[in-house]
Amino acid sequence: MTAVLQIVFDALSLGSLYALGALGIAAVFGVMRLVNFAHGDFIAFCVFAMLLPSVDATAIVFAGQLPFYLLIPLLLLVGAGLSMLSEVIVFRRFRNANPATMMIASFALGFVIRHLLLLLYSSRPKSITLWPSLGLPVEFLGAHIPMLQVVTIIITLVVLAVLVLFLKHTRYGLEMRAAAENFTMARMLGVRANGVILLAFAISGMLAAAIGLILATNSGTADIGMGANVMLIAFIATVIGGLGSVPGAVAAGFLIGAASVVFQATLPHDARVFRDAFVYGAVIVVLLVRPQGLFAPKSAKQRV
Amino acid sequence: MTLLDVDDITVRYGRLTALRGVTITIAEGEILFVTGPNGAGKSTLLNAIAGVVPTATGTITLDGTRVTGAAPEEIARRGFSLVPEGRNVFGGLTVEENLRVGTGMRADRKKITDDLESVYQDFPMLAERRHTTAGMLSGGQQQMLVIGRALMAAPRLMAIDEPSLGLAPKIIDQVYEILMRLRSQRKLTLLIVEQSSARAMMTGGRMILIRGGRIVLEGDAADMVKDERLKQAYFGFGDH
Amino acid sequence: MSRPPSVIRQTIVTPIILIVVLLAMAALSYQFGSRAFNRTAIEMFINIMVVVGLYAFVGNSGLLSFGHISFMCLGAYMTAWLTIPPVMKSITLKGLPAWLLHTQLPMWVATPISGVFAALFALIVGRIIMRLSGIAASIATFGLLGVVNNVYSNWDSVTGGQGSIVGIPPTMNVWIGWLGAAVAIVTAYLYSISRSGLALRAARDEEVAARASGVDIVRERLVAFVVSAFIIGLAGAFYAHFLSIVNPGSFYLRTTFITLSMLVVGGMYSLSGAVAGVVAISVLIELFRDLEKGVSVGGLTVGLPNGAQEIAIGIITIVILIYLPSGLTRNREFSWRNWPLQRRRLVPPVQTALKETN
Repeated sequence: MTAVLQIVFDALSLGSLYALGALGIAAVFGVMRLVNFAHGDFIAFCVFAMLLPSVDATAIVFAGQLPFYLLIPLLLLVGAGLSMLSEVIVFRRFRNANPATMMIASFALGFVIRHLLLLLYSSRPKSITLWPSLGLPVEFLGAHIPMLQVVTIIITLVVLAVLVLFLKHTRYGLEMRAAAENFTMARMLGVRANGVILLAFAISGMLAAAIGLILATNSGTADIGMGANVMLIAFIATVIGGLGSVPGAVAAGFLIGAASVVFQATLPHDARVFRDAFVYGAVIVVLLVRPQGLFAPKSAKQRV
Repeated sequence: MTLLDVDDITVRYGRLTALRGVTITIAEGEILFVTGPNGAGKSTLLNAIAGVVPTATGTITLDGTRVTGAAPEEIARRGFSLVPEGRNVFGGLTVEENLRVGTGMRADRKKITDDLESVYQDFPMLAERRHTTAGMLSGGQQQMLVIGRALMAAPRLMAIDEPSLGLAPKIIDQVYEILMRLRSQRKLTLLIVEQSSARAMMTGGRMILIRGGRIVLEGDAADMVKDERLKQAYFGFGDH
Repeated sequence: MSRPPSVIRQTIVTPIILIVVLLAMAALSYQFGSRAFNRTAIEMFINIMVVVGLYAFVGNSGLLSFGHISFMCLGAYMTAWLTIPPVMKSITLKGLPAWLLHTQLPMWVATPISGVFAALFALIVGRIIMRLSGIAASIATFGLLGVVNNVYSNWDSVTGGQGSIVGIPPTMNVWIGWLGAAVAIVTAYLYSISRSGLALRAARDEEVAARASGVDIVRERLVAFVVSAFIIGLAGAFYAHFLSIVNPGSFYLRTTFITLSMLVVGGMYSLSGAVAGVVAISVLIELFRDLEKGVSVGGLTVGLPNGAQEIAIGIITIVILIYLPSGLTRNREFSWRNWPLQRRRLVPPVQTALKETN
């Protein structure tokens, strides 16, 4: 029983990360049809924003020293700022470009950010201790669950709730949803294209910052590649969820998180290192059965 | 007073010229019907005014302001509302949410609730289904919804692309009846693309005939229907 | 489809020009270049193989693939398995089957086998992935990259895991590099004028019309996928001989990005574009490598920090995408007529990856 409970929490916390990542991608994709490959590097950027630039292994904590009630908003601002800046400087010029071009442009932007971080901080992972108390386990129905897992799940639920409230009950949320369904029609109703897209980037950037915080707390290190690993799965989650579907992205994120944890627990010991290969393989199978994703919105169906 | 002034515009899609040298003016409170065979450039004209397709030459002036090349949202904010062909409802949004999309830009926020009620009065079937997702509505209901949605943006000039396409005659009558009532109530100016010249004649107003991207005839709808040239213009395409 | 000879006569000039120009580069490098310069030239030829292979699929099908570097990985490891002396293999790669463990083949045999191995693999996975289209297909190729990288990084007894396998005979020089590039160009050219290549390009530009004319898009995509995997598999083999070591990290995101950038910078829908893009980016990389080493200005050595190279390539790619979305060659081919670039009667494909989601 406790083992099962542990697996459930593992699945939920890993799924939370993937869901947050997938959401960040879906938010931008919805309004702009851009698959933003730079998102993983946004995450890494937010983590490194807590450190002072240095090539030493011992990191000099900079913003990371702030109390959490200042650090969290600051980091969210950094994420939103970077994301909005990349829209204004780069993606705005690709409004009429085809999606393949945009994908490569975002790939290029991510590459630039990653190497900028390498330049400033070197490739050595740095240790960073944010909230050591979160590493302690809590007892729950006889199982010892790391506090951080519980916090991760709670944060994700809060983020989801806020996002749903925003999308359903505010004017800007309504405009974003309308624009995601039919961008031109929304514009003809007076919805400002640049405004909606900038908003989507801001939300996406804040989600990247949230993931960055969770990852940094979890691993205790800042590593340039840390965002990329989450993002690879998160992309896949957005596709499985049905590109452009926000609830789909979240559901698929949790689904893949669960699949990873279950593979990890059930695969024979020798095959465990190939867990990711099994996950990717499962993804390809899902795409074959439902190319438009598991939860595709009606508007995304193929039209000929 | 002239509300819309389209002066000598040309629209090209790549090498294809969809509109050449089209000039129209619409006075406040007027109805202008645009008719013509399929592929004549009627929808292109509306889309050009809405700022959705760029014009190659010519100018468009809306309520005294030049809007040539302006973004669709800016043109909408100047009081132009287009109901495009094909009933572009936001299928995943509820009926009420659809109606509210266009209200974000309005300054008179207090009037929005009143307007919503009056749209529901005009289209009772929308009121019944206000919390249904729009994708679940029938074709006729969706047409009502897009018209209601355009009205919620409080436009001064409303353009409708083929309001009767794919609708049962009874519903078409209903749609026109509502449009005419709204016109008198709200001093709405209307620009309607209509394949059926008979419908235009019944409604009354001015009419232009577009063919091959040019205006070939212009006049009072009632007179034009009698004109042999209208039939000629349709010759080989059939009157719908 | 008109008479095939006329297609060849009209277009044969392009591969000839490309191969001759590259030959001239190889000769100049051999004659005047330093050892380091020659290594840069070889690297460029290998990149040409990869990017031309990428073109064979991306250019003809219009689908973006992020998974092609996995074929390079497959080719490189196959070459490693086939060419490393058995004595060394029995220490580091104990998990290899006995027949492979005791085999040692010369490069000219092992390389085609590596290409065919990659092609066979592509045939199997392609049967699945090619049924997808648009963004789903692109993401599935990303999944492919993930699977291959994960397996090769962790199957310690067969691939040596994350570490490097050493001991591949370093039998690579500028001439062999050039030959590889020439083979890649000819293969990609022959595919693009084949029935399948023409049908696939038609489907890329006008999917509905092509389907209506009886083009089996999934099949033609699969053919292109296999051809490109073969070319890139060869490139992997060359790369293994070039470095004489292989490790899975060289066949992952960085290489995927650099090669895609090269293709896009040159013009992703033309063979000349693929080659031109590699040459242009290679020159840039070399330039920035020198700048990173430092330039003496009046006794002072001023150098760019390490990593400036990648940042510059990223920025240049973005700038080219903004101002020259169809690449340096504008998707045209080199030819005699209208030297240097012939206008190909190709309508630029407007929507590709996202056709169905809009």
